[in-house]
Amino acid sequence: MSASFLLAEAAPPAALRQPAIIGVALLYFTAVALIGAWASRRTRSARDFFVAGQGIGIVTLAVAAMASTLSGFAFIGGPGLVYSAGTGAVFIVLSASITNTMGAWVLARRMRLLGEARGLITVPDAIGARFRSPAAQGLSAVALLVAVVGYMASNFLALGLVIDAMFGTGLALGIWLAMLVTLSYTAAGGILAGVYTDLFEGAVKTVASVTVFYFVLRAGGGLDGISRAITAVDATFLGPWGKMPALSALSLFFVFGLGALGQPHVAHKFYMLRDPRRLKWYPLLMSAAMALTLLLYVGVGLVMRAKVADGALPALARADDATPAFVLGFTPSVVAGLVFAGVIAAGMSTVNSFMNIGAAAITHDLPRALGRRVGDELRWGRVWTIVLSLAAVVLAQLPGAVVAFLGIFGFGLFAATLVPSLAIGLNWKGATREGAIASIATGLVLTLTLETCAFLKLFTLPAGVTISGLSLVLSVLVFFAVSRLTRARAAAQLDDDVRVVMEV
Amino acid sequence: MTARLPLAALVLSCVAIGGAYALAFLPGGAPPWAAWGLILGSAGALAAMMALGATRNGRLRPVALVACLLTFGVVVIAFGAALLLPADEGPGARLLLGLPLRTAIVLYGVGLVPLLFLPLAYAASFDADTLNEDDLDRVRRAAREREAMRGRRADADAPPGHTP
Repeated sequence: MSASFLLAEAAPPAALRQPAIIGVALLYFTAVALIGAWASRRTRSARDFFVAGQGIGIVTLAVAAMASTLSGFAFIGGPGLVYSAGTGAVFIVLSASITNTMGAWVLARRMRLLGEARGLITVPDAIGARFRSPAAQGLSAVALLVAVVGYMASNFLALGLVIDAMFGTGLALGIWLAMLVTLSYTAAGGILAGVYTDLFEGAVKTVASVTVFYFVLRAGGGLDGISRAITAVDATFLGPWGKMPALSALSLFFVFGLGALGQPHVAHKFYMLRDPRRLKWYPLLMSAAMALTLLLYVGVGLVMRAKVADGALPALARADDATPAFVLGFTPSVVAGLVFAGVIAAGMSTVNSFMNIGAAAITHDLPRALGRRVGDELRWGRVWTIVLSLAAVVLAQLPGAVVAFLGIFGFGLFAATLVPSLAIGLNWKGATREGAIASIATGLVLTLTLETCAFLKLFTLPAGVTISGLSLVLSVLVFFAVSRLTRARAAAQLDDDVRVVMEV
Repeated sequence: MTARLPLAALVLSCVAIGGAYALAFLPGGAPPWAAWGLILGSAGALAAMMALGATRNGRLRPVALVACLLTFGVVVIAFGAALLLPADEGPGARLLLGLPLRTAIVLYGVGLVPLLFLPLAYAASFDADTLNEDDLDRVRRAAREREAMRGRRADADAPPGHTP
């Protein structure tokens, strides 16, 4: 999810500069620094840097995957969207009840086993191994890079806005500080640092969400009270599709449901699990963590709309103010501090995953696609982590609308390029490398072209049709069509060990 | 049930979604029934992907099959009910667990009900149908054989007198 939610100022800065809020944020930064220092001492190889030495436990995996899945959007942009669009905004996260188990069946076991059998460290590695195709590996790495840099830029901007609002640093310095803190532990400790800070950040987010939901119910007089206040003045807000047409809400459900299988920051983490048989508990742990962390997403937007509906509060100037206004007005300042630490945690946990994935694409995947190998992947991984971070910070200084554009198509681009070749490809022996390459190219070209045309206002899609949904459907159909046309080559493109991984 | 069925269901689901999108381009927008394309397509795509992932050696075992069918049914019934039931979200709306009836069916039905059975179905079928020690041994043996073959190839390609 994009962090473009914070392109408008997050909250009145003066209201955020309370000792308790700043104190909690400083405690958070200290904890992250300590975890980063610990992890950097344990990072001795490229395998440690990119897949945490394949040594993490199932609880860490599940919480870290949740933390990197739910960016700051879950705490600020999401509640803001619920406040403005009603129930329809919940369709973005509604499929989470299904996607974690789906991901376990479709990806987790195969990625983990393929990683062990081949010593793989990146998501494009899996595509390259599955189809015995450096071209497919390289093309998917290009798609990842395009989306990763945009994601990083929009998250740095969002983090910079929060840091500026809390510490009064000014936006430019806030962006640089956000980058430097995240970079310091990611470049030193790689994904090992990232995954353990994700664990801490995930715990912060979950505690913050559950605590805030308690105050939501208390402030709104329970869910009944919230619904009564809203339905008294607005008959559509709490309708099944909210303020959206049914087609738009359902389209969100589809994109974020099937598209969840193409998110590299989650798929990549399956390589890191120490014991693959512990995957048995992954859907249960991940679903529980996600359900608890999404309570804030749903609750805050609804209660703020109820407060406005019953006249207790004036209408918000910006929908994205819903969470800051609620926590500052209805919770103790320590809880507000926890929530803002949670927002920073969300942004940083998403960014560090993308730093690592982007660095791996340049250091590992693109050279392999060109038939070369980088001598010291650990050193170059660190160097490219720094270079990518600097590039993202420069992009984050561009006008807000441009940064929002860069961040907004990331999820759709990952989905359209990776779902067919990775999720279907690892489960269907009839898939071919030609189908994989055609579908990745289709997803990449369609998403970039249509998003750019829409950004430049060259056309508007009809209500209910999303660019990400259209690109995803077409890339899947192209994958099937081209694989069908070239099916005679499928068996020859499958190595014996990969076949075994696909059969178990 | 063989792997062909999930694949066919996935293609049909994507075609249904593509059809619903195509209808939205008609003058006057999509007809109300176009939403059924997205309902059936989304539910079908998610259930078919799960079934595809849970299929082993071309067979989908009973626990996974039931879980996939239940997921499809729950999503279609919940979204379908929201389309078919009369709107009642105004003043004095009937509430179910704190939400208007149609909204409660969608949010609790799709957002919560699958949580009650999917992770448990996965865990319950894991040892027998997903991954056991024999599977791991098989994968590790295949990996060792591949490495050995690569080693033999490297030896064969090495110049005479060269020690790898």
